[in-house]
Amino acid sequence: MSKKNNIKENTQGQGASVLDFDDDDPLSATSVSKKSLVIFFLIDTSGSMRGTKMGELNTVMEELIPEIRRVGEADTDVKLAVLTFSTDVKWMYSTPINIEDFEWTRLNAEGVTSMGAAFKELSVRMSRNSFLNSPSLSFAPVIFLMTDGYPSDDYQAGLKALQSNSWYKFGLKAALGIGQEANDDMLAEFTGSKDTVVHAYSGGQLAQMIKVVAVTASQIGSKSMTLSNESGEEVENEDVYAAKQKLLGQQIQDFVGDQNNGDVPFDIGW
Amino acid sequence: MTELKIGQEVELEYGGKAKVLKVIGSGGQGVVYLVEFNGMQWALKWYDINKIKRPKEFRNNIQNNINDGAPSNKFLWPKYLTREMPDGTFGYLMELKPASFDSFVDILNTYKLVVDPLSGRAVKKNVRFTSLYAMVTAVINIANAFRQLHRAGKSYQDLNDGGFFINVDTGAVLVCDCDNIAPDGSNFGIGGKPGYMAPEVVRGLTKPNVQTDKYSLAVVLFKLLFRGDPMEGEKVIKDICLTESSELKHYGQNAIFVYDPDDASNRPVRGIHDNVIKFWRLYPDYIRDAFIHSFTTGIKDPNKRIIENEWQKMFIRLRSEIIMCGCGRTNFTSMFVPIDEKTYQCPKCGMQFGSLGFSNRSYRMPLYLGCKFYKCEIDPDSDDFLSVAGELVENSLKPGVLGIKNISDKTWRVKMPDGVFYNIESGKGFPVWAGLEIDFGNIKAQI
Repeated sequence: MSKKNNIKENTQGQGASVLDFDDDDPLSATSVSKKSLVIFFLIDTSGSMRGTKMGELNTVMEELIPEIRRVGEADTDVKLAVLTFSTDVKWMYSTPINIEDFEWTRLNAEGVTSMGAAFKELSVRMSRNSFLNSPSLSFAPVIFLMTDGYPSDDYQAGLKALQSNSWYKFGLKAALGIGQEANDDMLAEFTGSKDTVVHAYSGGQLAQMIKVVAVTASQIGSKSMTLSNESGEEVENEDVYAAKQKLLGQQIQDFVGDQNNGDVPFDIGW
Repeated sequence: MTELKIGQEVELEYGGKAKVLKVIGSGGQGVVYLVEFNGMQWALKWYDINKIKRPKEFRNNIQNNINDGAPSNKFLWPKYLTREMPDGTFGYLMELKPASFDSFVDILNTYKLVVDPLSGRAVKKNVRFTSLYAMVTAVINIANAFRQLHRAGKSYQDLNDGGFFINVDTGAVLVCDCDNIAPDGSNFGIGGKPGYMAPEVVRGLTKPNVQTDKYSLAVVLFKLLFRGDPMEGEKVIKDICLTESSELKHYGQNAIFVYDPDDASNRPVRGIHDNVIKFWRLYPDYIRDAFIHSFTTGIKDPNKRIIENEWQKMFIRLRSEIIMCGCGRTNFTSMFVPIDEKTYQCPKCGMQFGSLGFSNRSYRMPLYLGCKFYKCEIDPDSDDFLSVAGELVENSLKPGVLGIKNISDKTWRVKMPDGVFYNIESGKGFPVWAGLEIDFGNIKAQI
């Protein structure tokens, strides 16, 4: 008798004998649980977004989904959750939806910009009891904020709530300011770095920026970060997410650097 | 990075040009293209040079691997380097994976996605081993491939589920992504994939080497048999925020095997780890003990990890202990009822199976129609676990009479029912009877 027959196992209950032959086929495996990645889009649907901006955004989001589908590797489950904020804060669907099944619902714009309320709502949902309930290890979420204006509520209170959420802390954060009104400094407060804030002044730029940021963030977010430090010192928890956030910043800045074309600004020429 | 265009021609180091036909994949270090060279189709791995830490050394290492040649035909090995582009970008040609092989990731998923190019929607197609024989043969092949690699003094470095292709009908294995393979002790920047990396690599204390390969090999074997993660149990699930940062804890500093006999804090959880719970109890003690050893003692002491040859021997034994019962139930002898020390009974239909004992080992091989033994099992000098030496068949002239057919190239001496030993040449057979004795030369067997 070997040692392991004394193991206290929750699996060796009654019936775990050779006589239990109904379900003992060594080939009858179910799929190994995959690592999951939830991508959060926080979208400003206040009145100022009405018209071209919203039309452009709706179209690019529809086009973006098939592109993100291709990003997820066979061993990653990618899900999307879309939170819109205007006077009210609303989720497009009541839970994150698998990218394979996600269908974009076209958004309308009206009302004021309750960004602080959106931050609070996000903070509540980014929990293992709510949207991030995958039983296995997940990748840190990707959180992408898009807005064209300044919050009309107390965004700092919301941000404070968010900052105490460890999913947010480890998450990959990016933000897109649309048009002249959007405040990049405020967006950098949200992402934690200026490198992950981009700005679109025109329709063409808007489409490009959304695609590049979303696809880059999903790519980085859904891949395991290889850490090899040359010093031979022990790796710390913080190194992993810091490395990813930094990589995202670099790649976004590389792209922005190449993009100074002479499009007509959003807010001009009406 | 310098991406290649369809139709573009890439110059090879020693002459000739490869023409790019299409993209067939992309990975962390670059893109794989389908190319045509010398009238044949090849795979071209093309690097994103910015993602390679020391490109010159990396390229030299690939050149050395090409010169050394593959350790065996189980590797999709680099064949030809391309010339460097002005910015230093380069790639190498390797043979294409045959269509009959599926990726290990797809096997773990139990399906593959075939993408419809128009809609971008994917359709699921089943990927499952068609027999227990094939699955155990795949495990033997994987252990053997790494034994051959390590014998050549090299380590794979980033052993993970993306590194293999397997034929689910035969258990044949192809090891791919051979570009990070390097002489033991060298490393060109690759760390590995979380969940597969040895704890000391996760923690950044060691670079990948032959000993860390052994840990990763144990993870791969565990995942293939038990279809779950050896370190993911209750302790991990309870964690409030499960991100990659938690990997450092659960796979590094505080890695606890789900069936650690001395620590029950991380047992598999019903509803989440059902595969592991179900399969763990099916396997015989020597297999479970080997995994317990790998993921307890082997976590802390790299030199005590199970060596490839031990895995190989264990799984050759496991394959010989499979019983395919006439009622359709296929399982290991450990899941059949022992009637006496030589007879097993199917708990489902009651059918009984005799067994053959060999002079060089303590365990017995159950006999059933279609069971096989291999060259390595009857010749102590052979490492050939793929060539069948003998098979239990039905006499074509006397239905219902079972016998063993000699498929080896040697002549055996066999005791027949008249009590006399006869020569049984290759291609001939003899009946299975109560007093059967077989002399294979160095090894003898009897009922």
